[in-house]
Amino acid sequence: MSFISILSIEFKKIRRSKILPLFLLASVILWLPSVFNADINFKMQAEGILPEYNFLIQGFLGISWFMLPASIIVSTVLINQTERSNNGILKMLALPVSTTWLCLAKFLVLLVLAAAQVIIMAGVYYIGAAIASNIQDYNFILPPLFVFKESALLFISAIPMAALFWLLSICIKTPVFSIGSGFIMVVPSVLVINTKAWFAYPVSYPFYVITTEYSKLASGIDTTKIQLIPWIPVAFLITVFCIVLSCMYFGRSYR
Amino acid sequence: MGFIIECKKVKRTGFIPAFICAGIFSAAIPVINMAVRHKIYTSSAGSPVNILFNANWQVMAMLNMLAVVICACIIYNSEYAGNAMQKMHLLPVHEGYMFLGKFVLMFLMCIAILAIESAGIMFCTDYWFGSGSQVLYLVLKSFAYEMVIMVPAALSALFIASAFKNMWITLGVCVVCIFMATMLPMDNFILSLFPFAMPFQVFAGTAEKTIQGFIAASFIESIIIIIAEFLLIKIRRLFE
Amino acid sequence: MNIIETRNLTKVYAGFKAVSGLSLHVPKGSVYGFLGPNGAGKSTTMKMLLGLTRPTSGSFVVDGMEGTENRIEILKKTGSFIEAPAFYGNLTGEENLDIVCKILGLPKSAADEAMEITGIAQYKKRLAKKYSLGMKQRLGLASALVGRPPILILDEPTNGLDPSGIHETRALIRSLPQRFNCTVFVSSHMLSEIELMADNIGILNHGRLLFEGTLEELKRNAALNGYPEDRLEDIFLAMVGEDNLQHKGGV
Repeated sequence: MSFISILSIEFKKIRRSKILPLFLLASVILWLPSVFNADINFKMQAEGILPEYNFLIQGFLGISWFMLPASIIVSTVLINQTERSNNGILKMLALPVSTTWLCLAKFLVLLVLAAAQVIIMAGVYYIGAAIASNIQDYNFILPPLFVFKESALLFISAIPMAALFWLLSICIKTPVFSIGSGFIMVVPSVLVINTKAWFAYPVSYPFYVITTEYSKLASGIDTTKIQLIPWIPVAFLITVFCIVLSCMYFGRSYR
Repeated sequence: MGFIIECKKVKRTGFIPAFICAGIFSAAIPVINMAVRHKIYTSSAGSPVNILFNANWQVMAMLNMLAVVICACIIYNSEYAGNAMQKMHLLPVHEGYMFLGKFVLMFLMCIAILAIESAGIMFCTDYWFGSGSQVLYLVLKSFAYEMVIMVPAALSALFIASAFKNMWITLGVCVVCIFMATMLPMDNFILSLFPFAMPFQVFAGTAEKTIQGFIAASFIESIIIIIAEFLLIKIRRLFE
Repeated sequence: MNIIETRNLTKVYAGFKAVSGLSLHVPKGSVYGFLGPNGAGKSTTMKMLLGLTRPTSGSFVVDGMEGTENRIEILKKTGSFIEAPAFYGNLTGEENLDIVCKILGLPKSAADEAMEITGIAQYKKRLAKKYSLGMKQRLGLASALVGRPPILILDEPTNGLDPSGIHETRALIRSLPQRFNCTVFVSSHMLSEIELMADNIGILNHGRLLFEGTLEELKRNAALNGYPEDRLEDIFLAMVGEDNLQHKGGV
């Protein structure tokens, strides 16, 4: 059987899970304060950033440091709970499917959920920006290509983090510890991005990337340039390491 | 009685170690922060307790909230996972008392977490500011205050956990609530009354009137949430 | 010819021997009744055959394939039903079976057939978590029967069914070898039940095989050992009881 059909099965399993409305709720909560306080975007002379860019980037900062990592953790819980709550996993293991493929398919589902979160957030951004434009009588709406670029950067930089959380959720059997260790890693990422070793800490990637984007847009802030080396090789290695290890462990915990 | 049973139920779920770990971790935050940047902080004006809270409490409170949320998830997941809840319905206990028993357990763990954190803060004031025991009273008062304003958040997390059978929904809703709390402006009294936002408040350097306001709000919110839980149980009975 | 054979199969859980030195022989095209009291190691044995748990020592052959190396190949030929029914509560009965069909590369009609046979066709649009215990059990059974596998491994399939359901299921299992040309390896803790379904019987207690053979052989064996011959349940209870005594004496 092909990988595609395993993938479609994995998507079927999360039916009726209501995770998308939850993502929508998170996105609305993210943009709502920005819309009401849209006037503060005009007071950014010190930073030297245009109001419309500030409006976008402040929201992106919020999502990249907490909401996106948290959404990924919640998604890992969702994926694991659907398997465990009624022993569905036992049926899966007693069917002729390779556990490696199963694990990979689930990881892809996780990535798609993360992408959905980013897309929903970008969608709500446009609604929010339109409302703010109306209230403030100033055009906050940015060209789609730019918003798309920022969203894509955010998503891609979150992949190593997703791999890490996926590994945690598979290797740590007690849910309280797998969720807890995930969150404990999220909180200090604010501190880690200020250190030189940020590239060794996948959880800080999205926040770091968006912070750099911010500094690029703001003329008043020193532009921090991302050092692609060693970042890209390290991120790649961490991602591959996490995926390989999770595939090796997957299914083993049930046997 | 209910409380002792609840203690038994969380055996081997990692509930107590999780709280202790979270406490140690968040107590380590001011210590690490001071160790790295003590020059900035020791040279700034104001009382040591004030400085430490301003510098670290946002992250520490965040960790506390996450610990509370995760533990609320676990407490009720053990109830729903093996269909134990059904068994509980068949026994002569009111589900509401079970909720209160769970709350007492959670509250004790919150006290434990705050005690570990106050030890961390005390260590910082003593080691870097050399203020010794004279700030002890202020630190204890601060943490007593945190304890009181944390109650509605703990109750809300338990309320949400009791409402949803799927642990991930509980987790998702609570995480969104915490996220919302971080988005709310701290200096706005009305908005800070949101249960998940209150624990981010600090004692030191806050006007006495505001403090009294938050304490009163904490009591009122707690009672409202408990009533809501009892109503939820009643309403759910009608539909099941 | 034996379609399932185990050689000295042993499983040890943290110092506790769940299955010890088990050598089973399941002939092709038969219904093999695997009998034993609760906790005798029946489920563990079945889990080992399905690759859900690794044997501590010993080996097994399923349809000529060496056990642990050919997990996927064996699973392709095996329909199974283990312990409590395993399903996804947020999906309907039909969707649950669709997943199984897809993995096995079968058309949807295979799911319909399985639902028809087990009698849940009318509830196929209902969420599996809303199923009654008996319906969940039937859903589990249906997921084992999907695609008419040549080997069926069923762990206490009549648990939780009502008397008519038990009767239907027994008749179904009895008819499977002829209908689908398959071998059924079914466990139970009631000899009276196995008696109605099985050609061959294996009796397990404390992880050890007390008896293996046909029903007639069991009766003859019982007569030789002085057990009451006419009542099979008594034979079973007497055998297990004696083994328990020996077991205690041995320890």
